[in-house]
Amino acid sequence: MHDFEFLRFVNIGQYLPTGSVVHRLDPRARLLAGFLLLAAVTAAPRWTGLVSALVVLLVALIVSRIPVGYALKGLLPPLPFIAFLAVLQILFGPRSDAVTPLWTWGPASISTASLLNGALLVLRFAALILALSWLSFCISTTEIVRALDTLLAPLTKIGLPTHAFVLMVQVTLRFLPLLALEAERIAKSQASRGAEWGTGRGGLLRRARQALPLLVPLFLTGLQRAENLALAMQARGYQGGQGRTTMTPLRFRPADAAALTLAAGLAVIVVCV
Amino acid sequence: MSALIEFDNVTYAYPLPNGGRIAALREISLRIEEGEYVAIVGANGSGKSTLARHLNALLVPDAGRVTVAGLDTRELSHHKAIHRTVGMVFQRPEDQIVASLVEEDVAFGAENMGLPPSEIRTRVTEALETVGMSELRMRPPHQLSAGQQQRVALAGVLAMRPRCIVFDEATAMLDPAGRRTVREMMAGLHRAGLTIITITHFMEEALDVQRVVVLERGCVALDGSPETVFADVATLRTLDLDLPPAAGLAHILQQHFPALPDGLLTVPALVEALDALPHHIGQTLIAFNELLSASTTPFIEVRDLGHTYMLGTPLAQRSLAGVSLDVVEGAAHGLLGATGSGKSTLMQHLNGLLRPQEGMVRVGEYTLHDPKTDVRAVRRMVGLVFQLPETQIFEQYVGDEIAYGPRLQGLLGDSLRQRVRWAMELVGMGFTAFKDRFTFALSGGEKRKVALASILALRPAVLLLDEPTAGLDPASHREVLAHLQRLKETGITLVLSSHQMEDVAALTGHVTVLDAGRSVLDDRVGDVFAQGEQLRAFGLSVPVVTQVVEGLRARGWSLPPGLVSPTALIEALSQRIERI
Repeated sequence: MHDFEFLRFVNIGQYLPTGSVVHRLDPRARLLAGFLLLAAVTAAPRWTGLVSALVVLLVALIVSRIPVGYALKGLLPPLPFIAFLAVLQILFGPRSDAVTPLWTWGPASISTASLLNGALLVLRFAALILALSWLSFCISTTEIVRALDTLLAPLTKIGLPTHAFVLMVQVTLRFLPLLALEAERIAKSQASRGAEWGTGRGGLLRRARQALPLLVPLFLTGLQRAENLALAMQARGYQGGQGRTTMTPLRFRPADAAALTLAAGLAVIVVCV
Repeated sequence: MSALIEFDNVTYAYPLPNGGRIAALREISLRIEEGEYVAIVGANGSGKSTLARHLNALLVPDAGRVTVAGLDTRELSHHKAIHRTVGMVFQRPEDQIVASLVEEDVAFGAENMGLPPSEIRTRVTEALETVGMSELRMRPPHQLSAGQQQRVALAGVLAMRPRCIVFDEATAMLDPAGRRTVREMMAGLHRAGLTIITITHFMEEALDVQRVVVLERGCVALDGSPETVFADVATLRTLDLDLPPAAGLAHILQQHFPALPDGLLTVPALVEALDALPHHIGQTLIAFNELLSASTTPFIEVRDLGHTYMLGTPLAQRSLAGVSLDVVEGAAHGLLGATGSGKSTLMQHLNGLLRPQEGMVRVGEYTLHDPKTDVRAVRRMVGLVFQLPETQIFEQYVGDEIAYGPRLQGLLGDSLRQRVRWAMELVGMGFTAFKDRFTFALSGGEKRKVALASILALRPAVLLLDEPTAGLDPASHREVLAHLQRLKETGITLVLSSHQMEDVAALTGHVTVLDAGRSVLDDRVGDVFAQGEQLRAFGLSVPVVTQVVEGLRARGWSLPPGLVSPTALIEALSQRIERI
């Protein structure tokens, strides 16, 4: 019955301005801290590290005044996918001859080591999703853009078009919610014409074929919007990054440095324990 | 002394994919002086938008010359200065906003100019104050109403401190209150010394200005004050253009009351002229009330409907809070309300796209608050045409697009052809002439009709229409209205929402007014429009006939307040105005 609210429980990309201590940090500090934690979670070799990462993230959510229940609901949509991967990992993961499998059937086997690997995979994905959601709860798209703009600025010296890249990110981030709304609107209108959206029926092939009436208009309006936006930007004197200034120059204060150091320390712990 | 903007024999043609070119401007010469307030009008395809884009070098002429403040637009190095001199507000509010925060977006243009941060800050603050959006400066733009977004776009232009602002159909997608605000801002900026150029389909907006330029197929057809341009009724008709609503009404009334003078363009002028005719004020009549067929059970019944988007998340947003309405079978029911009042959400409940979270909805025999109800059966019975339905067309050929729905219902071969033919004829498109046309090559009005036909082909018993005429030019607007009028006679039940009060007055018999998710007024169309004061408080307005009645009543005439159609007005006036 809520099939049309595509965005309802997708938390990645939702900014929640709670005004917490975390939200008041310099966006560069927040962005880098988030990346450090993400990198640590990706690299952590042992379950102790992943569990401590989860604890760190829970504390971070509380400090950022994000409703923890809401953040955890974001784990639900990808859960079937993660479970599927975990089962694959357990059954078909790399086998070592040193360990005797508990159960074998053709190419599939289960051993204590593969069970542990499966558990690691689930933990890692949960931590990654939580870290990504936390980052997007705490940093608005505008702040990401501002942070990226200054962080990447040195690269212009070696001739990379960082400003164009940042603008691309900015426009994408701004248009994502619009495209999601558009997709919802088109799906609804096709449903009014007898398509099977939102009735929970139809086989896989049928569903795939139904995507066409959705994708064609979505693509066309996307192009149309992009064209309109390009025109509007040109009309407001946009000619690339050269000679542009910014209304809100960023200031990196001691508190930001402290927070970043803390995040780096935690990241090291996650990787090393 | 040269003009601020000067067109000298400008010709422009759009390149076509097949290598050909289609002419949009033909040897246009035009001067716009500093401080002028100009409206540019014309039917679709007359070259208005192309002309607008030449005003600030978004397009440059193929032949001839455009100069802005003495700078030739063909010189690329002049563009920066030209964009600074002439700012532009576009039609689609959400497509012209760059940043994800209001104040960041307002700063975009000023940042492009390379100003120091403190100077940008001052200008942004000032611009936001001018458009009255200071309090919403930290909001993401997609949370604002269309009218508010349009004000943000205007602020972004103002922060660049231009000498001239072009509004390219900037009011087309707005509700009456939003349109009123933008119009007031244009007038205010003009008084402050700016040059204002507005491109519009709404002829009443062309009355605010000093000079109206009418385009026809890339040439200037008429150019003069609103009084002289709108006096030329015959030429305007041949150009497929409307008169301003009050002028149109005056024209009709003149045929019955020849003593009315020419050149009445506004409601106050028309009221004054009518009041000056020899008349008796008539006795206070008790308005004749038809017996309402209250005994019949309504076909659609909504009670205390409530709906919250993103329920159960911190972003939950209440959209409906206690809406009730009844629609009788075969009736035409209007929904009025400002942007965000919940009209679309309500409509989506009527064909099962949304299920009631609170309250009840019944359509025919289907109770939608009952989770066991088969929504597909409801959707088959109730067709919903969304706003700007032409953006959802996905087939290459017109015939296939219209056949999509019936085909899913299992129609094949000859019965499918018959169905498509029937639907196309209902919207006035010849089957053989149009079925093999490419959908992308149709005009805006034709696309709208294809979208309408593709729903009609499902033979719904109820048709829900969300803003069926929004964004159409006067000719297509008239045509779509006429088809809806004919459709009504086939016995279909219509529920339509519109920001065009004239459309609601012309099409519907009963109206429900929504405000902030509640149904606040529910009555016959005349009785609803009789409450002009209250409607304006809800961000709405009343049709021109009702405005004239309001004016005459204020001068002591005893007219029944709820007149909406010209015929009813003529009849009421005939009893009071003495024939000469």
